[in-house]
Amino acid sequence: MTATATTTKHDFEPKLVAFVCTWCTYAGADLAGTSRMQYPSNVRVVKFPCTGRIDPVFILRAFQKGADGVLVSGCHPGDCHYMAGNFHARRRFAAFRQLLDFVGVDLKRLQFSWVSAAEGGKWVEVVTELTERVREMGPMREFIDLDASEHWSAELADAELKAAYHSL
Amino acid sequence: MTQGQQTESTPLVDPACYAAATAAIRAEAVRLLEAGEVTAVVGYRAGRRAGSAMPEVATTAEAAAQLIFTPGCQNNLALFLSKAKREALPKGKVAVVVKGCDLRALAGLIGESQLKRDEVHVIGVACPGVYGAGADLAKPLAAESLARKCRECKVHLPEGTDVVAGTLPPLPDLAPLEAEELARLEAMTPQERWAFWTEQFARCIRCLACRQVCPFCFCTQCLCDRNRPQAVDTSPRPAGNTAWHIVRAMHLAGRCAGCAECERVCPMDIPLNLLNRKMAQELFELYGFETTMQPQEQGALTSYRDGDDQSFIK
Amino acid sequence: MAKTLSLDNLHRLVDALLQEGVRVVGPKRTGTLTVYAPLTRGEELELNELPRRSAKETFFPPCETILSFEKRDGRTTVSDPDLDRLPETVLIGVRPCDAAAPGILDAVFSWDYDDPFFLERRKRTTIIGIACTSSDDACFCTAVGLTPDARQGSDLFLVPVEGGGFAVEALDAKGSALKERHAALFTAGGNTVPLPLAEPKVEPLDLEKIRAWLDGNFEHPLWKEIADRCAGCGACAFLCPACHCFDIVDEGGEGSGCRRKHWDACGFGKFTMHASAHNPRDVQPQRYRNRIMHKFKYYRDKFGQTLCTGCGRCIRWCPVGIDIKAVLDEINKKS
Ligand code: SF4
Ligand code: SF4
Ligand code: SF4
Ligand code: SF4
Ligand code: SF4
Repeated sequence: MTATATTTKHDFEPKLVAFVCTWCTYAGADLAGTSRMQYPSNVRVVKFPCTGRIDPVFILRAFQKGADGVLVSGCHPGDCHYMAGNFHARRRFAAFRQLLDFVGVDLKRLQFSWVSAAEGGKWVEVVTELTERVREMGPMREFIDLDASEHWSAELADAELKAAYHSL
Repeated sequence: MTQGQQTESTPLVDPACYAAATAAIRAEAVRLLEAGEVTAVVGYRAGRRAGSAMPEVATTAEAAAQLIFTPGCQNNLALFLSKAKREALPKGKVAVVVKGCDLRALAGLIGESQLKRDEVHVIGVACPGVYGAGADLAKPLAAESLARKCRECKVHLPEGTDVVAGTLPPLPDLAPLEAEELARLEAMTPQERWAFWTEQFARCIRCLACRQVCPFCFCTQCLCDRNRPQAVDTSPRPAGNTAWHIVRAMHLAGRCAGCAECERVCPMDIPLNLLNRKMAQELFELYGFETTMQPQEQGALTSYRDGDDQSFIK
Repeated sequence: MAKTLSLDNLHRLVDALLQEGVRVVGPKRTGTLTVYAPLTRGEELELNELPRRSAKETFFPPCETILSFEKRDGRTTVSDPDLDRLPETVLIGVRPCDAAAPGILDAVFSWDYDDPFFLERRKRTTIIGIACTSSDDACFCTAVGLTPDARQGSDLFLVPVEGGGFAVEALDAKGSALKERHAALFTAGGNTVPLPLAEPKVEPLDLEKIRAWLDGNFEHPLWKEIADRCAGCGACAFLCPACHCFDIVDEGGEGSGCRRKHWDACGFGKFTMHASAHNPRDVQPQRYRNRIMHKFKYYRDKFGQTLCTGCGRCIRWCPVGIDIKAVLDEINKKS
């Protein structure tokens, strides 16, 4: 049986969230679409005015809500619509990556890229690569497991909750 | 400078150096209030329990004459000059007693335009060190009861203050426990670190003492208290706690003065300063940025250079 | 004849209870701190340290789910926890300042509304108190009407005796039942000379005089004097055996989620914040005033009890060194 990369059925379809700026990457993704380029449909795109507006907490929230991978993408340095938003973002995300790494989040699930409005091909490449990498890694369990640990002390009420809270 | 025969339980320094700093603080505070140069002096006074101390906003010469400096003077009083605690101070110029690490926080607040240097008269203290959390305050300060931050302090002697109270005695070299712990964590795999931190964060009861004592946690509306939209769950559960701690560390990155007050006040013994320190170390390695005793115009994450590292970006 | 229990047999008692499927909660060392936690073996019991957090969490956990909801096919289902299935619990190794508190809280949790979460746990829990032989300068149980060997709140009470072990006293039906069930572990006779008790050396307080002073001094410069330094955190309330405020939040998403009840504290600025953004307790001294008023006046007025057992936790852990005993001494002097 033959199939193209984009139509192969896999056991695990990762959920990816892409936070992108409207001026460059969103336009680039749009170009990829209108040019009918094929890329994995695993990614949900969330559009922002600028990478400078993408708060690290959004990335955290995405993981907490079940994303297996997160992509953050905006204009190349020098191309920011607001002059310096992406320069600030670059530092912020450099720092945030280190923090996530220090608390033990596998950074392979988090990708940053510069994709301009003309780079539909690069968008396809970045999304495909992240999708495949995260597919290899399997589902992101850490935050989901955290959310399922029902009690703050992990042990204080587990047995108790199992009994009384079986219905919840 | 190194003394011989220092063990973890021998008294660290001659208590006379704290007494000298106390006398100097009192003299300066009384002078300032009597001359009307300031409306208040934020310092420390003794508490009921032996060896304890607490912040004091002295507005009279009588109160100023009661100020002290002892190893129990743990608080970072720069907190009182932040927007969050300013309401406790009278209007007008105030004086504040700062240790070196507190001075870094004060400088940070000035750098963030929270106040102007000339609105505050800064009384620095030559600081041999203070007690760590849970120390027996009735016993003399020793290496075992010394705050972990003080073992590696590089700012015993404040610089750029209006006066410096006391002089610094010779101090022993002590093992850098915090740096060692940080290195231990860095050497772990991400999975091991995740296990370490989830266990630590699970204990958090969200008393927010760490936030409330931090001079830089002065937002009128903390993101972590917001519920529309809600970024961080407020309930003390592993999920919300982890989010809270990640956000806290991120919001303090490049601003944190390393006073380690957040860690000291944590009733659940969560080693918060490891997070702070890790971020400070990364920002130094990436951008050569360090919090200092001098106000800086720009912070690590409020500025940029064209050539900043972007090797992690595709 | 008085019964005694050796330390080994106390450990065996825990093991026997666990064998029966009883949940046993007691002081346990975890990492750097001792807290009340479910025990898995009798030997985990740590009786030499007052746990960092109080025993109230056995009845009133820092966070508990009170219902869950799920939306599916346009219908929303709501499920409640089955409180009848809360396990039988023995809370063991509880010092008088912690043992007395749940009974004090019964009043508010069964006042205008019966809080089933608290009360069901109370019903199913037997408290084994222990006389206290070590105190520090933050303790002041003796100033608020308790003693280091106060039985208040305990069903079964242990008094450490010379030569190790404990003299045992059953104080009510729950305590007797537990003792009967494990009669073999208790020996008749033995040394029953108690070890010297902890003796908090503190100035006495006249709680009625303090209440009267508070009654007339809602506005007083003292509040600002003491509490301008208050950082506005929840440390004092969360560690306190008698503080009982909670918040209720919905967490989760549109499709499903939980309603949770979790600890709250009057020290927080947001505690009294109205939706309009008006805050009746506008500045920190007003919030701290509420702490004192609630503990030493309102609760006395309403229920005839004091919301403080003198455990000293809030004194040990206040980030800015506010010392409730010093505050009370000050008021005591005024009244
Ligand atoms: S870190 Fe340095 S300045 Fe700060 S309290 Fe310790 S010794 Fe003093
Ligand atoms: S002080 Fe400790 S327990 Fe309290 S919120 Fe901060 S980390 Fe959590
Ligand atoms: S984050 Fe902690 S160490 Fe840093 S300034 Fe705030 S209180 Fe001090
Ligand atoms: S108010 Fe303080 S001393 Fe009194 S019971 Fe509560 S924590 Fe203990
Ligand atoms: S009295 Fe102390 S522990 Fe209580 S809210 Fe104020 S600062 Fe926090």
